[in-house]
Amino acid sequence: MKRYIAKRIVYLVLTLFIITTATFFLMKNLPGTPFDEEKLALLTQDQRDQIYASYGLDKPVIVQYVNYIGNIVQGDLGTSIYYTGQDVKDIIVDRIYPSALVGLQAILLGTVIGLILGVLAAYRHNSGWDYAAMIVSVLGVSIPNFVLAALLQYYIGLKWGILPVAFWESYDSSVLPSVALSFGVIAIIARFVRTEMLEVLQQDYIVTAKAKGLGQMAILSRHAVRNSLIPVITILGPIVVNLLTGSLVIENIFGIPGIGSLFVDSIKTNDYATIMGVTIFYSAFYVVVMLLVDILYSLVDPRIRLGSGRE
Amino acid sequence: MANPTDSLDPLFVPVRRENGEQERISRPALSAFQDSWRRLRQNKAAVISLILLGIMIVLAIVGPWLTKYSYAQTNYSAVYQSPSADHWFGTDKFGRDQWARIWQGTRISLLIAVLAAALDLVVGVAYGAISALKGGKVDNVMQRIIEILIGVPSLIIIILLMMIMKANIFTIMVAMSITGWVGMARLVRAQILKLKQQEFVLAARTLGTSNTQIIFKHLIPNTIGMIVINTMFTIPSAIFTEAFLSFIGLGLQSPQASLGVLIHDGFQTLSSHFYLLLFPALVIVVIMVAFNILGDGLRDALDPRMRK
Amino acid sequence: MKKKGSLSLLALMLVFSVVLAACGNNNENASGSSSPSASAGASGSAAPSGKPINLYVENEIKNLSQWAASDDISFTVLNNVSEGLYRLDADNNPQPALAQDVAISDDKLTYTFTLRDGIQWSNGTPITAADFKYAWLGEMNPTTATNGYSFILTDYIVGGAEYAAGTGTADQVAIEAKDDKTLVVTLKQPTPFFLRLTSLVPYFPLNEAFVTSQGDQYGLAADKLIYAGPYVLESFDIAAGAVLKKNPTYWDNSNVKTDTINLKVIKEQSTALNAYKAGQIDRVTLASSDVDANKSNPEFGTGIKFRTTYLQFNTKAEGLSNVNIRKALSLAFDSNILAATILNNGSSGASGLIPDLMSGDGTKTFRELNGKVIEANIEKAKELWAQGVQELGSAPKLTLLIADTSEVKDVATFLQSEFKNNLGIDVAIDTKTSKARNELMDNNNYQMAVTAWGADYDDAMTYMDLWTNHTPYRGNYESSEYDALIANAKKETDDAKRADMLLQAEKQLVDTDAVVAPIYFGGYSFLQKSNVTGLIYHPYGNPVEFKSAVAQ
Repeated sequence: MKRYIAKRIVYLVLTLFIITTATFFLMKNLPGTPFDEEKLALLTQDQRDQIYASYGLDKPVIVQYVNYIGNIVQGDLGTSIYYTGQDVKDIIVDRIYPSALVGLQAILLGTVIGLILGVLAAYRHNSGWDYAAMIVSVLGVSIPNFVLAALLQYYIGLKWGILPVAFWESYDSSVLPSVALSFGVIAIIARFVRTEMLEVLQQDYIVTAKAKGLGQMAILSRHAVRNSLIPVITILGPIVVNLLTGSLVIENIFGIPGIGSLFVDSIKTNDYATIMGVTIFYSAFYVVVMLLVDILYSLVDPRIRLGSGRE
Repeated sequence: MANPTDSLDPLFVPVRRENGEQERISRPALSAFQDSWRRLRQNKAAVISLILLGIMIVLAIVGPWLTKYSYAQTNYSAVYQSPSADHWFGTDKFGRDQWARIWQGTRISLLIAVLAAALDLVVGVAYGAISALKGGKVDNVMQRIIEILIGVPSLIIIILLMMIMKANIFTIMVAMSITGWVGMARLVRAQILKLKQQEFVLAARTLGTSNTQIIFKHLIPNTIGMIVINTMFTIPSAIFTEAFLSFIGLGLQSPQASLGVLIHDGFQTLSSHFYLLLFPALVIVVIMVAFNILGDGLRDALDPRMRK
Repeated sequence: MKKKGSLSLLALMLVFSVVLAACGNNNENASGSSSPSASAGASGSAAPSGKPINLYVENEIKNLSQWAASDDISFTVLNNVSEGLYRLDADNNPQPALAQDVAISDDKLTYTFTLRDGIQWSNGTPITAADFKYAWLGEMNPTTATNGYSFILTDYIVGGAEYAAGTGTADQVAIEAKDDKTLVVTLKQPTPFFLRLTSLVPYFPLNEAFVTSQGDQYGLAADKLIYAGPYVLESFDIAAGAVLKKNPTYWDNSNVKTDTINLKVIKEQSTALNAYKAGQIDRVTLASSDVDANKSNPEFGTGIKFRTTYLQFNTKAEGLSNVNIRKALSLAFDSNILAATILNNGSSGASGLIPDLMSGDGTKTFRELNGKVIEANIEKAKELWAQGVQELGSAPKLTLLIADTSEVKDVATFLQSEFKNNLGIDVAIDTKTSKARNELMDNNNYQMAVTAWGADYDDAMTYMDLWTNHTPYRGNYESSEYDALIANAKKETDDAKRADMLLQAEKQLVDTDAVVAPIYFGGYSFLQKSNVTGLIYHPYGNPVEFKSAVAQ
């Protein structure tokens, strides 16, 4: 296992390097400049060139790339052009907390409710519970979360005044966005747990456990749920990454100063350093989570072995 | 963690294969399809869903022609009309008939759904299955490729695509095919990683069953539940991805509409004209509920272990 | 099995907690800067103070360095924490601000400003004429200013363009700080709106000693700025907003009645409306679909912006090189319908390129003088279209290029339907991100595009000057007559004659040559709490004044 993890970490660095390189060169082909082109059009070519030069954008792309890699090796993610002069590292650090808090709450809430709904649905297969769980799931994925967010904001925030309508002022501000985001998680977890549980409940070892006279709760918690976890872990991996790194729409609706909109804005405004910074941050998070997911597989189900390839 | 097959191999000598022995029929001779169909028909909810889906598809085809208004026809003296005998689902801010637009949009969204599902089922399932079965180096490389595809921001690729391709359904498909299948691939891989060490697969292997047969006879059927469920999640997300792509300019252009675009537009007027969001959302929900019940039914019908 | 089971759950929890811990670090940091703190505030005057006022901006506060800022939101903040020689009043007329008065020479070329006595920066340093010279030269210099706004100085000030282009030196720029109180500026041509220009952010002063001491950190945080305006920044976070406090060192602080202004960032219009209804903000701009429901509300109001949205034809593109085709398209849509039913927010159908209320010859507005230079005429449009098609040999296939914002999309859908209904032609819409749209236009790769221009100052020249550079972005328009009109207008000292040339130029651009088809003049609808008074919104330049705002 140790050897496997060590090997994976080498690959992890390599993967990140390829992502960084690919993103850098693709990004340089984006149309436009990081500046306000309509204003720049009113300047002379010389003036424009000098502005580019002051950000090092006059050099060949390959030179810019080498410089950039040199800087990130030293831990310098560069400065933003769109948010003139702001250190990209500072921007990310400032904005990750609200996104991560909201995302984490959504995941915890969604996973717990999703697990309960899924187990209930499987245990009472084809009953009212089953259909109710399914309809909740279907609503959770076919109604976009921004609609739900707007409804929560209007009723709970404005009409009933239970929680703040928007802004990031106290812990209360994080509740509605977390709930809005959790519905998608509930939907996915509930459906997968149900499906997997249905299969697990047919397995011989469950029959054996029943035969042994194990109580229903014991069967569920010791055998069934645990053996249904593989798809849940697989699905949760990317969800964790995506939710903790923020949701553009939900952050905009609740006025949360998170990282979700930063990414989209940086790409739309050619803010090169910010694009790279967020990409590296996101990818690093993603590949680490993928590694953890693979490790979790073999912890949950020791029969799964990833290291050996001989079959 | 010794490999159990290593220790088993010397102990077990493969039995000489008799033709048909390993798949001996122990039930009335029904083809897999007949059998599944028989069991699906017994599932009332699934049958109702099938009928409901049929109605939706028929409406998507003929719906726009049932009203005298075309989906693109604007009428600036009849904007934001509530649903009425004239405009069954009301009109939007351009005075266009929502009924015609919704069914026109359903047509496009169903097409997107089918394409996305096909992509998932073909590329996603195959990629995941190969990655898990081959294991080791192959798995490692294939999974790292997925990480790279996810890591490079897709919006950059979408904008670059937008610069070189015309906006249409084909371009949407190209954009979706970059990462659209990744979730399915990872899920199938995880399931197969789990299954391939289980007793029945080991048994099949011991009996000398070929890899292809193991995939199609044992692994895929045992993963079908996951595959069906995941497809159910792919479809709505594809429908909304299309709306996003259309908004930034990669997909459909006005006056075309899709359910995703209609929901997006309806959301803008949520507080003042709720029906503009309600109807397209209802259509999507009905389609998805029907799909899901049918999917569950299909899974039960197809899954060999659910036979009772 | 049991033990392993809990192990796997444990592992899951571990993932969560690691992430939680990693995020928790910045807890204090983030919430500290975004939460408004108690409104203790340092108030230097004995004037009675109103309640805090809560307002919002529709996007992030990108940057507060004057040489980098170019957007409305940065200008909103800067205009209220700093000040120019003049400041616009409620009627958009320039009133002496940091300047006490000005002497203008008879040839209207030399402006001698006298600064007020006792004005100082928030750190106690006196504000001097040298601060203006330093700021203005820095804005002209492309190595220090990156906002692209240097033209707003170099177009007028003698020696500015040469200095900016690197062919002249700073000494040759005609800005002279005679003494601490006297600033003398010489202009290239008579500029009737020059005093208005001095109210804009690029004309604000900067203290060289402070700016240099901060280096590249200047403007990045509230304590990395010093202030000359009615307010100071207490805190500022790009994505969360800013807190403004009354500036005790401001020369006119007895007329500043509010201690605290909270400025939040809200990007979603529906959120802003909900926050307004919940009492969290005191004013909200309405989405067009919310206007009808709120029209009867006594808190409802509308305003205009000097911002014209127009159709830019590419005069070198296939089909559109024909002037009759261009004219036909210009006349084939009724923009009053667009403004009244679709935008429905205070915008109005365009009757020309120069927006309503923009000044003309000093006594009348430009629009009053020039009347309607564009008006829908379907019959004539059909006729011209047929004529154009005949000249071309076949009907051109047309594509309309637009950027991916909701409002522009609505405009495009409207135009498409009008062209279909009135000319019977199918125009395709091509949506692109704004950067992509700009690049296509710059590369001459378009037929027609929906474009908008917001006025930098209150004079038709802010528009008319754009079409003298002959670039693809401006439709490759190249007309020696037009260029001559603009060049002469720039030299003309007589306001009436100057206005006349600009009137002619507009007619030529819109009507005779049909290079652009104006669509609508920008407007907005809002709700404002009845207890809030004195908020001044300008149609151009610095969007809003908080100076006289007060909440009862």
